[in-house]
Amino acid sequence: MNFLRKIFEETGKLVEKGKPLSWAYPVWEAADTIFFSTNKQTSKGPHIRDNMDIKRTMFFVVIALIPCYIFGAYNIGYLNALAMEIERGIVGNTIFGFTYVIPILIATFVAGAICELTFAIIRKHEVNEGFLVSCALIPLTMPPDVPLWQVFIGTSFGIIIGKEIFGGVGTNIFNPALTSRAFMYFAFPTKISGDKVWAVGPDGYSGATALAIPANPVEYDTASNLFAANTQFDYSTVNMFWGLIPGSIGETNKLLILFGAFFLIYCGIASWRIMVSSVLGLVFTALLFNLLNYFTVDGILQSGGFPNAMLTITPLQHILIGSFLFGTVFMATEPVTSSHTNTGRWIYGFLIGVLTVIIRSINPAYPEGVFLAILIMNMFAPLIDYYVVQANIKMRLARNA
Amino acid sequence: MQKITIKKGHNINISGLASREFSNAPTQKFVSISPQDFNYIKPKLLVKEGDQVSLGDALFFDKINPEVKWPSIASGTISKIVYGERRAVLDIIIEVDEEKEKNIESDKQINLSSKDNLKEFIQKHNFWPFFTQRPFNKVVNPSDSPKCIVVSLADSSPLANDLSFSLAENKEYIISALSNLKKLTDGHLYVAVRGDNFSFLSDYDFVSLIQVEGPHPSGNVGVILNRVNPLNQNEVVWTVQGSHLPVLGKLFSKGIIDFSLNICVGGPAVKPSYIKSRMGARFDQYKDSLLMENVRIISGNVLTGKQVDIDGFLGFYHSSFSVIEESFERPFIGWLHPGGKSKYSVFNAYLGSNKKSFDFTTLQNGSNRAFVPVDAWEKVFPMDIYINALARSIEANDIDEMEQLGIYECDEEDVALCSFVCPSKSDVGAIIRKGLDTIYFDK
Repeated sequence: MNFLRKIFEETGKLVEKGKPLSWAYPVWEAADTIFFSTNKQTSKGPHIRDNMDIKRTMFFVVIALIPCYIFGAYNIGYLNALAMEIERGIVGNTIFGFTYVIPILIATFVAGAICELTFAIIRKHEVNEGFLVSCALIPLTMPPDVPLWQVFIGTSFGIIIGKEIFGGVGTNIFNPALTSRAFMYFAFPTKISGDKVWAVGPDGYSGATALAIPANPVEYDTASNLFAANTQFDYSTVNMFWGLIPGSIGETNKLLILFGAFFLIYCGIASWRIMVSSVLGLVFTALLFNLLNYFTVDGILQSGGFPNAMLTITPLQHILIGSFLFGTVFMATEPVTSSHTNTGRWIYGFLIGVLTVIIRSINPAYPEGVFLAILIMNMFAPLIDYYVVQANIKMRLARNA
Repeated sequence: MQKITIKKGHNINISGLASREFSNAPTQKFVSISPQDFNYIKPKLLVKEGDQVSLGDALFFDKINPEVKWPSIASGTISKIVYGERRAVLDIIIEVDEEKEKNIESDKQINLSSKDNLKEFIQKHNFWPFFTQRPFNKVVNPSDSPKCIVVSLADSSPLANDLSFSLAENKEYIISALSNLKKLTDGHLYVAVRGDNFSFLSDYDFVSLIQVEGPHPSGNVGVILNRVNPLNQNEVVWTVQGSHLPVLGKLFSKGIIDFSLNICVGGPAVKPSYIKSRMGARFDQYKDSLLMENVRIISGNVLTGKQVDIDGFLGFYHSSFSVIEESFERPFIGWLHPGGKSKYSVFNAYLGSNKKSFDFTTLQNGSNRAFVPVDAWEKVFPMDIYINALARSIEANDIDEMEQLGIYECDEEDVALCSFVCPSKSDVGAIIRKGLDTIYFDK
């Protein structure tokens, strides 16, 4: 330890103010405080401080994501074995999966670190740990066979356009991880738009994700029947909960996502209000659409001349298919880009749920609506807060009058 | 009696709480009064080094409001006037002459029948600095008429001087002080107490007794006001430190000027105790009780107090010293630490933390970062104010919005816990003070 400490102290002298290498101070500071907790002192009151800091806050979000990574890797191997009709065992499947996950992870972190460090050096601010969370989230939203150069470009776009041009962590409007997801969705639609199967199989292997099935049915039926009719993958409710279905790496196992949710809520990092209200919003809208379906000609609601099976997806299926839970737990709750007031959080979350179902069902061209719903609500979060705060101001003015 | 219950907040479980008994300590040979303890004044000295002063003599006055003069808190000689940068007066140190103090005669002409008589009497003895006002937390303007007066006898800050113990022998003076304070306002005289402490006050109808319950900052004047009688724009509320009630009571009832004060010394780095002492006491008389070398001595509590040297003095409004260790430790990968006895957090982020009283040090436990609103401030801020929005409006220098969001109701001490819990290590108190300064100097 002393040896390492010495290295940091010696190298620290090289990046002091006025030295030729002083531009590298943010990089040195980041490394230094990762290895050794800062010994920064309080200067005036409060003379004592809580032991929680942003490093630990961000690190805890990453911890909550680790189970999703492990299961995601296993699921890649499992689905591959299924397609290849071979047996590999749990460990073998997981290792196979990690050969896909780790390169994506490396591409993300390299891109993220380059952007973050470059901006830290140019702007002369300290490296903010928020980028670790963004970079940990991005691979989980990717299909396993996504080309690495796309990941690299997507991540760079997300960190720069989603965060840095607005001034970095704390002042960004859009969730950087979702910004890169959205960028890739529209920039490379053939790989990532969600209507092709998201599993690693042999050449020419194809199939449909759960959301794509009711979105583009061969013949109209209710969503439940369509899921049951699919023989390629097991899209039963139970299996969709356990997550042995194609999807982006982190989104499929709902149990692990719920575990992450409880962990973050218990630690006081993520807002349970957003999670609960977005589920409420989703259930409300899904029920409304189920109801709508009964008021149509021959029991079939016509959408652009064609029956829309998306309207028959039950609330539970809406929760389980696609990345709704993942987005709600890890993306919507991002503290900077969500609402900052508790009342606002209820409204913000509810509308995410509502918008998710609307985007999924009314316009089946975009079967996955969660990330768009969250990005839209990111945009409106300050407006929601504005009205919540105005109510407080009006209360105070009324008292004064 | 009104009862208010505060839910949002946190009692910091810091070690070094003094037990309820007085310990012996040498008498004070030097005391000091520091103009730095008073916000927004421009002090003009009336004495110089070597002058003889006696209890209550004016030491300096405020150039902005020349009526307000500061009393000498001891009889004796001005031994030193300490100047800081740009010749700001930091300390006026008085060498105490006990003989001289004993021979001072009490003021026999006490006529406090009306508000004006009382004000004259306070003016005559230079006692206005005991009265502070909200907003701005500054010494009052004697010509104001406050909408109400609040006295908190329920200080909830960490290691606070327990007034139910340290004021126990001063019942009659407390009553005398309060009965006269009531004359200064046409509104209520709110007195906040905790539990059954000071229950004798319920016999007096000039007191609007408030029973507060809940964690810190429930005993803060600002929080109590926010619940019972919120401060609006262009209103002024006066307040007096609970620990000063005996000083006021002695003057009002018997004309005696006596600045003795029961203080409390506490904290992880000191042997905690209550001491019969006096205002402006010097810490070095108690240095034998220190448990280690590298310490930070704080006049006041660990959240809002002011750092002083080992031969530093108790601040004018303070009634306790807190001592914590100056730590320069750099634990290896500390942010990954599982928890246990060495960590304390209001977040459930460490295993088994907060169970036992904790030895806090001066470590900030993290680097300064941009605001990440994880609802930390809101958890410990009990007022109906959007503190995050308020802080942002202050950073944006938007005075209208600050006023609309209720900045007048806040003071540094009310948001101290927000800074304590903030993972970004923001100093919320400094932000609030900056906002108040902006408004104050704008007018």
